[in-house]
Parts: sequence; structure tokens; C-alpha cells
Amino acid sequence: MAEKAESDEAPEDGVEDSDTMEIVLFKSDTCAFCPRAEEVVRETIETFEPGTFKLRVINVSETPEAAEEYGVFALPTVMIGNLSITGIPEPEMLMKMILGVRVTTNEV
Amino acid sequence: MSEFTIERVKTGIPGLDELIEGGFPKGDTILVAGKAGTGKSILATQFLYNGAVTYDEAGVLVTLEEAPKMIRRNMLRFGMDLKKLEEEGKLAVVDLSPSKEATPVTIGEYPSFDLSGLEAIIMNHVKKLGAKRIVLDTLSIMAYKFKSRDILREEFFKLAAHLTDEGRTLVLTSEIPEQHDGLGVFDIEAFLASGVIVLYNEKISETSRSRSIEVLKLRGSQHSSRIHSMRITEDGIRVFPGEIGSG
Ligand SMILES: Nc1ncnc2c1ncn2[C@@H]1O[C@H](COP(=O)(O)OP(=O)(O)OP(=O)(O)O)[C@@H](O)[C@H]1O
Ligand SMILES: [Mg+2]
Repeated sequence: MAEKAESDEAPEDGVEDSDTMEIVLFKSDTCAFCPRAEEVVRETIETFEPGTFKLRVINVSETPEAAEEYGVFALPTVMIGNLSITGIPEPEMLMKMILGVRVTTNEV
Repeated sequence: MSEFTIERVKTGIPGLDELIEGGFPKGDTILVAGKAGTGKSILATQFLYNGAVTYDEAGVLVTLEEAPKMIRRNMLRFGMDLKKLEEEGKLAVVDLSPSKEATPVTIGEYPSFDLSGLEAIIMNHVKKLGAKRIVLDTLSIMAYKFKSRDILREEFFKLAAHLTDEGRTLVLTSEIPEQHDGLGVFDIEAFLASGVIVLYNEKISETSRSRSIEVLKLRGSQHSSRIHSMRITEDGIRVFPGEIGSG
């Protein structure tokens, strides 16, 4: 899914690099599990070379349209490509998802 | 109006309001349950349509199952022009159906989530329109989307409470699977709602079926305890309070 996920809401700037993988975290102001999920994602990203990932955090309290666009009901949700995880992800699961997306992207 | 009088929200569905003391109790959560094809979506849509056209109350239709295109087309057959209401700002059809291409595929679920995303999506439209009526069609889909039932139950109670804040009335539809005795796949449907309406389309002979409607419970209402005949006509659902049906 190389679909342009880029829209108006809070992109973490920078140029789009085909080697950079975008990780999207959906959170809200009221979501109790979201801070921990964000930590896990950031820690996982840090084990890779800088520039490997681009993290985009979407606060649906501010941009509910984004949650609607992607049909994201549950928070936290981590989305990479067209795959997602609901709840606080385990790092191993995140890794699996990253590799999974890599495989499918390379095949296309 | 005395302090014991419950304010009513008229459904405007011919024959139904007189079975329920004039309408749904304002601010309540009403469950419309029934097997496939019994008329749940039509009834729920009529509630919104009549609200917008006749009672000056804007509505939000959250569809978790059917694509909006199909809904607009189907409802037009009953004379309900949803597109027009949407253009007039009296109705929002919120597409959360599986037909949306951007929806990612969930490959894992941990029991540490809430439904604040769904709430934000719905409330965004409610606020924009100042909506007083909300329909979520259908609750049953949630049971397929998420595994963590305990969280779902808790979160749905919270969601219903927030959506019905400020006197908004919420209608949830629930599909009763064939060969099933309860009111839906969750087994919490009856607790979640303060009102329950059940639709039937039972076989009465080898060659015919008969539609009927039952008000199973309704807060503070001396509702009919009978099962009444119902028909789906070219104007949508019509209830016949004088006719006793077979449930
Ligand atoms: N023009 C029409 N005249 C009479 N009946 C109709 C007409 N169009 C559809 N129906 C009936 O309406 C029923 C569908 O109604 P509706 O979509 O509200 O059911 P539902 O309970 O929401 O079903 P599902 O569980 O599949 O979502 C069908 O059984 C069909 O027989
Ligand atoms: Mg339906």
C-alpha cells in the first residue's frame, strides 16, 4: 500500500523517501493506553537506523476525520501500510508487522 | 409537563408511536433486534428521516455494514431521499462499512484499547449538525471486529452514555443469528439498551411469511405487550396496532 496517507494533519515534516517507512499511531486525548503505546513504538523505532521510519501521530480528538477515513474505532491503533494493530503492541508484534509490510512492498 | 412525564421522541413510523406512548423516551438507547431481513435498517432509517423531515431534528446514520451508496439507493425505494437531507445538513451518513478501501487489516489485538476513536468520529458529525438522533447499524459487526468482549461491553456502555448526552436518542440495530434465542451476538444487548424492539418475519405456511413487531421493554412506558402485525410497504415500515401478529 504505497497509497498516499499524507494529508493535512500533523505530518512529522521531511521529504518522502521511498526507503522510509511510515508508522502511524492513532491516539486521543482520553485514551488511557495511548501514552504507553507511543513509548513502545518509539522504542522499537530506535532500534533501527535513523531515517528508517517516519512516525506520524494522529490525535483523533483533534482530527476525527482521519479516524473516519481509515475506519479506526479502537485506540491506540498502530498502522503500517495497510496493516494495523489494536491496543498496546508488543515489540515483537510490531517487528513482525514491519517485516510483513516490507515483504509485501518488495513483491509489488 | 409534570416531572414524572418522560419526554418522547416520535418515530413518525405509522402505527409504532401509539404502541409506545408516543415515541422513544428522549435520551435513551433503543435496541432494534431481529434476524436478517426483518426490517431493522429500514426502521432505523425511517426514525432518522422522519426526525429530519417532520420533527426538525437532525440525525446521524453510522453504517458499519452496508455501504452508503447502497443505503441511499435502497431507501429511495421507500421515498426517503437521504442525499437531499445530507445536502440540507439534516443528515450525515457516516461510512464505517468494510467497503472502505483505506481501512487497514487488523493483524493483532491486545486487550488494552478503548473506543474513543469511534466516539470521536460520531461526535464530530453530531456536533456539526446539532444532531438529536443517532443510529448505529449494526452493533453486531463490533463483535466480529473485536475479540476482547469484556472491553467491548464496557466501552459500548461508555459510548452509548456519551452519545445520548444532552438528550440525544440512540438507536442500535442488532442482528439475531438464525437458530439463536437471545437478542444478538453480544449477550449484553438487553442491558445496553433501556428499550428493546424485536422484529420478526416468521414462516406461517410453506409458502408465506408474516412480519411482526414486539416492544420487549421500554423505560417508563406502558407499552403494548403484544406482538403486532407489521408490513414493509412502498412507504417503508407500517405497524398495525390493531392487528395481533405471530412472533
Ligand atoms: N420495496 C419493498 N417492498 C417491500 N419489502 C421490501 C422492499 N424492499 C425491501 N423489502 C424487504 O425489506 C427487507 C430488508 O429490510 P432491512 O434491510 O431493513 O432488513 P435488516 O433487518 O436490516 O436486514 P439485515 O440483517 O440483512 O441488515 C427485506 O427482507 C425485503 O424483503
Ligand atoms: Mg440491515
